[in-house]
Amino acid sequence: MKISKKIIDNLKKGGVDFYLSVPCKLLANMIEILENDKDVYYSAVPREEEGMGICAGAYLGNKFPCIMMQNTGIGNSVNAIVSLLQLYQMPVVFLISYRGTPGEPVGAQGGMAKITEDILQTLRIPMLHCSSEKDLDKISTFSKHAKVVESPVAILCDFNLMKDDT
Amino acid sequence: MNRFDLLNKIQNILKDNLIICNIGLPSQELYKISDQPNFFYMLGSMGLSSSIGLGLSLSQSKQVISIDGDGSVLMNMNTLATIGNRAPSNYTLLIIDNGSYGSTGDQRTFTDENTSLKDVAIGAGCKKVIECSGEETLNELSKAIEDKNNSYVIISKINSGNVKIDPIPLNPITIRDRFRKFIGIVKYL
Repeated sequence: MKISKKIIDNLKKGGVDFYLSVPCKLLANMIEILENDKDVYYSAVPREEEGMGICAGAYLGNKFPCIMMQNTGIGNSVNAIVSLLQLYQMPVVFLISYRGTPGEPVGAQGGMAKITEDILQTLRIPMLHCSSEKDLDKISTFSKHAKVVESPVAILCDFNLMKDDT
Repeated sequence: MNRFDLLNKIQNILKDNLIICNIGLPSQELYKISDQPNFFYMLGSMGLSSSIGLGLSLSQSKQVISIDGDGSVLMNMNTLATIGNRAPSNYTLLIIDNGSYGSTGDQRTFTDENTSLKDVAIGAGCKKVIECSGEETLNELSKAIEDKNNSYVIISKINSGNVKIDPIPLNPITIRDRFRKFIGIVKYL
């Protein structure tokens, strides 16, 4: 719970006040924290691409949105990222559980893991890769950066960083 | 009645609310009828009009109308479940259902065959679901806006057909900033 709490605290410190998730077991603690947080909006959504649309609307309405998802969700969302969030220059934080990184027990997750950073790089999305607890200290500044550059940004949280956070 | 006729008929009610308008011909036709700063024209991301409007209605208190199409809702059908569980009362989804993919040459959609978006919306948990003719749409939309306690999904059944029209000349940042200025967020314009 310590890691998840630190991530949410830093996102909030960065100004993020609107959260969606397509659940992942590595995100479960963060979801629980957000469900009990009266200061911010939180909802699950069925699909990441749809979540990108809701985040765009939330930005238009003066919220600073974050969508939490597995890295697989980036694959579901490429057109919405490019032709909505980037086209209209909308700041949104992607908080990504980086499935398929070392420690991952499910071999099938390896495929998207191999190309996740390549996709984000191709999309020119700034990335913060968190592999240890001290990396989490960069999250609030990195989130604020999204607003400054009016762009979606991606925070990748490694499997081994999240797996023992019970 | 086709989409252009319908948009013409409901234009006055649109001027008073925040409008998210679907990509392609719906936005181009609306722009031609009457361009307003409170109209957010989608230039990409087919399928997400309902979702953008939902996020907007959750984030501020003004009335929001998402203008969507049958083809687009079929592309993002999970949106009806999210709306059925999360839409606040300042949200209305207007699905202009002409049974065709208008912007791409009027190919038939599944709503012209076996699919009822009304039944899907009800099954997805939407409480106020109205299916009506194009002629009845203005009245149904007015009632939905006046009801401060419920969100609505209105499915307006019209004929297919488009008018010949140019792309919207506005750039996306102009659309974004004047829309946010209308809400009162952007001060620098």
